[in-house]
Amino acid sequence: MNVLGIETSCDETAAAVVSDGRVVASSVVSSQIDLHARYGGVVPEIAGRAHVELLVPVIEEALARAGIEHPDAVAATYGPGLVGSLLVGLSAAKGLAMSWGVPFVGVNHLEGHLFAPVIEEPSLRWPLVVLLVSGGHTLLVHAAAPGRYRLLGQTLDDAAGEAFDKVARFLGLGYPGGPAIDRVAREGDPGVFAFPRALLGDGYDFSFSGLKTAVVRAVERRPEAATPDVAAAFQDAVVDVLTTKAARAVGAVGAKGLCLGGGVAANSLLRRRAPEAVDVPTYLPSMAMCTDNAAMIAAAGSFRLVQDGPSPLSLAPDPGLFLELER
Amino acid sequence: MLLGIETAAGLVGVALADADGPLAGVWLRGDRRHAETLAPAVEHVLSQAGVTLADVDAVAVDVGPGLFTGLRVGVATAQGLAAGLGLGVVEVTSVDVLAQEVYDGGWEGPVAALVDARRQEVFAASYEGPGVQTGAPSRQSPEALASKLAGAPGTLLVGTGAHRYAPLFRGAGLRVAAIREPSPRVLVSIAAGRLAAGAAPVPPAAVRPVYLREADARINWVQR
Ligand SMILES: [Zn+2]
Repeated sequence: MNVLGIETSCDETAAAVVSDGRVVASSVVSSQIDLHARYGGVVPEIAGRAHVELLVPVIEEALARAGIEHPDAVAATYGPGLVGSLLVGLSAAKGLAMSWGVPFVGVNHLEGHLFAPVIEEPSLRWPLVVLLVSGGHTLLVHAAAPGRYRLLGQTLDDAAGEAFDKVARFLGLGYPGGPAIDRVAREGDPGVFAFPRALLGDGYDFSFSGLKTAVVRAVERRPEAATPDVAAAFQDAVVDVLTTKAARAVGAVGAKGLCLGGGVAANSLLRRRAPEAVDVPTYLPSMAMCTDNAAMIAAAGSFRLVQDGPSPLSLAPDPGLFLELER
Repeated sequence: MLLGIETAAGLVGVALADADGPLAGVWLRGDRRHAETLAPAVEHVLSQAGVTLADVDAVAVDVGPGLFTGLRVGVATAQGLAAGLGLGVVEVTSVDVLAQEVYDGGWEGPVAALVDARRQEVFAASYEGPGVQTGAPSRQSPEALASKLAGAPGTLLVGTGAHRYAPLFRGAGLRVAAIREPSPRVLVSIAAGRLAAGAAPVPPAAVRPVYLREADARINWVQR
């Protein structure tokens, strides 16, 4: 069975075809980074307009690369995300499903991220702890099996990737902040500043807004400080908190593996430290599977179609959608 | 057979037309529920008319100007339907639909079609006769428009923008027609007429909403 996945929850316009729930026949992502760079963050109205222009060519490209006329089902992200962006992919997906006479299924974007390792790791063993960190999400999830999730912790304020963007903007490093800080930090000494590790010994929730404030104060106090040192110390603090909590969660739930996901999972320090922090296998998705893509949406959609059947055509976008958790 | 989609100004509307004219249609007040109601409305109209999407030769859509959220639901749905069916799309503006309904009703004078643009503005276009637009649609303040049109008495105003500021326009000696939202039935008739006259539909990837307002460049840190 071929499922066409469509993803437009934020600033990536993406379409992909996945066969039998896990084989990626094609995956096309059109990034809008250039459109948003001058604002230092994603501008919702600009994102919504760009999706309308990019989506049909991206879908046509995904179908052509997969070598199929039309799929057996259409899956689209219906939340969480920017409502004006979500409704573009969702509406087009419904139109396509109606035109081909195939089932439509709505996919939770967060569950999509949890399916990225399913696509890439044939040896994956459950239960898992998943650390999902991006510009929009910071979640620590206990995944007992596909579709069976328990939230362990989340951010109480800024998302991890948002902290990278804001600090990069403050340091004049440009947008997106994650890759910019990662690059600059390589030249820096993380020991020059001792930034706070909020809630480090305290449960599984995260807080990054205090860290951002600490960076601003430190630079105001020591304007002569080298930017690479500031970036390295900031990155060290974020990665320290993420890996410490993820490792504690792995031990607490008896996980057989730790998965990283989301754009911040592309961070080189996090990718180096996470495997060191745990004594179970660590699954590091490829860069393309860390960031938002439609292959993970098609994979999650394939699973949901088997599990729950198609979604109604009246499915509305849900910008605040949360992960469906087991009771 | 032509399938028309109307979501530019608060209505969710779907209509079908064939060579004999409008065949079936449905409309409901959208109230921010466009994304929920449009696709089921398409299915409903098709089944009531006893046809399927395989009978459709082109998709017509209201490309605005209008409310951005509704516009994007209508345009993206039309793009998905047309791309999947391998069909072209007929783009029709909201102001053309509004003006045409007035002329269909027998009016012969000048018309100003106004769609509420919120923030104390309207999207407006003027017509001197059926299908004869004088100048491209633009975004204006109701006050400026009222004083401009007061110099051309006898202009009939139509649309959500005319109704929102009706007291202002009436105070300037102008008349406001009863029609508020663009009608899917009129939309599909206009599109059918253009196709019959030899106009070519555009590929689904080329459909562009008419925004007439720069994107609000506010970053949404919270919702991402
Ligand atoms: Zn994401």
